[in-house]
Amino acid sequence: MSASTMCTTALSFTRTNGLCLGNYALSLLSRTATYSTALSTNNGKGFPNRPIRGPRRPKRESGAPRTEKMLENQDWTAVYPSAAPFKPSAVPLPVRMGYPVNRGVPAEKKGNLELMKIPNFLHLTPAAIQKHCDALKPFCTEWPASLDSDAACEEHFPIQLESKEFVSAGSSLRNPKTRVVTLKVKLSSLNLDEHARKKMVKLVDDRYCKETDTLTIVTESCPLRQQNYDYAMYLLTVLYHESWKTEVWEAEKTRADMEEYHWEDSRSQKNVLDTLRRMRVTSEGEEDPGAVREELLGQPEVQEYRESVTRLKNEGETEETMLQYREAVKKLLNV
Amino acid sequence: MAASLTSRCAMLGATIRRLSIGGCPSLEVRGIHSTAICYKNRAARIRVGKGDRPLNYEQALHPHQIGHRKGWLSAHTSNLHEEEGAADRTVEDVFIRRFIFGTFHGCLANELVIKRRGNIIVICALMLQKVQPQKFYFLIGYTETLLSHFYKCPVKMEIQTLEKKAVYKYV
Repeated sequence: MSASTMCTTALSFTRTNGLCLGNYALSLLSRTATYSTALSTNNGKGFPNRPIRGPRRPKRESGAPRTEKMLENQDWTAVYPSAAPFKPSAVPLPVRMGYPVNRGVPAEKKGNLELMKIPNFLHLTPAAIQKHCDALKPFCTEWPASLDSDAACEEHFPIQLESKEFVSAGSSLRNPKTRVVTLKVKLSSLNLDEHARKKMVKLVDDRYCKETDTLTIVTESCPLRQQNYDYAMYLLTVLYHESWKTEVWEAEKTRADMEEYHWEDSRSQKNVLDTLRRMRVTSEGEEDPGAVREELLGQPEVQEYRESVTRLKNEGETEETMLQYREAVKKLLNV
Repeated sequence: MAASLTSRCAMLGATIRRLSIGGCPSLEVRGIHSTAICYKNRAARIRVGKGDRPLNYEQALHPHQIGHRKGWLSAHTSNLHEEEGAADRTVEDVFIRRFIFGTFHGCLANELVIKRRGNIIVICALMLQKVQPQKFYFLIGYTETLLSHFYKCPVKMEIQTLEKKAVYKYV
């Protein structure tokens, strides 16, 4: 009913205005009119009529895959701009994957789950990497020209810090192992005198490596890396200042606490002096013991003996040191 | 009959236990298995039949071929040395597979491939063209939103559609 009135009004409109809408418009109007009538009728119960079920609307055909429209000189970074699974309709290669059946060939790429399982690097072609680099370049600065060797780096940056980053796949990207901070510094680069150096080595104990002269501080007690870094720097500062201080009780340092062997006032010196005095006593009579001592100590053989014993005790027993000791003893005893 | 058998077994077990407590070290006590049978050598294997049943590559190759002729359906780093969270990832994967199977009911052509890149989950699926593309779009959006909210991390779906399932062989 409404459709018929619509038709008549449309026709009257065209006639009165003298405009010719054309056949297309009229047919469009009539088509819409007929379509609306078909759907607007209701059943008695209030359910709308469904469209005709007999011959169904033909299924829309899927379009041609993207590979058909690809040119040879296309921009591949537009096809795979980021990491994505393998799309057979977007990769123009005749790839086959899978264990073939008897007297068959591997399965084609269409519908191939094996190709989707494996990671692909189609988004990392040289052209794509070049684009990444070009994008990152404005944020980079040149390496300073004066830091051209390891020695220069160590001289200007004596403290080396190490920390680890972890990459993994999971719902959380946090890893508690990233909080560990390792601080390495060479004691030769710190301003320490003899006493301070010895005290520092005694304070840190195990953390000092004598071969490389490196102090290593590992901090992992705080939950954040920044906190561990601050703690490590604080420890270094405290060690430095403490080792420069001399406490009252440090005067009680005994021979057992010494790091190196000193021949002066040692048992070896006493024994040597005793032996030499007894060797001499046959020739001279009573003499000032202090002067005798000084004279004995001044002799070159005694000095050589002193060198050899110190070397033996500090460096350990090797061929060289033993030979040196032997020679010194022979000279001392005139053998 | 079954009830009496189990009750008899229970009584037998109880008496044996009492005997063993009484000091008979040679008698052992065995429990009763109450789960369904699941033999490892029969898992995920579709047995050879008349020759009219189509199998895809995934079904045709048995689990011992994983790593040799088959790849892995789920990729994450939790199974590496000193990495945490393997059980959580596995449970997530199982849930995602069931969820997608139910949401895209009848449309899945093959198993799901689940990849994890950082904290995003990428679900790669092969579907049949059983429903309209618009419905597919809706279901994909629904899945992605729901799973993202559920797991508190980005979830993305990559769908490929086929007209019919790819058959590897007939058994």
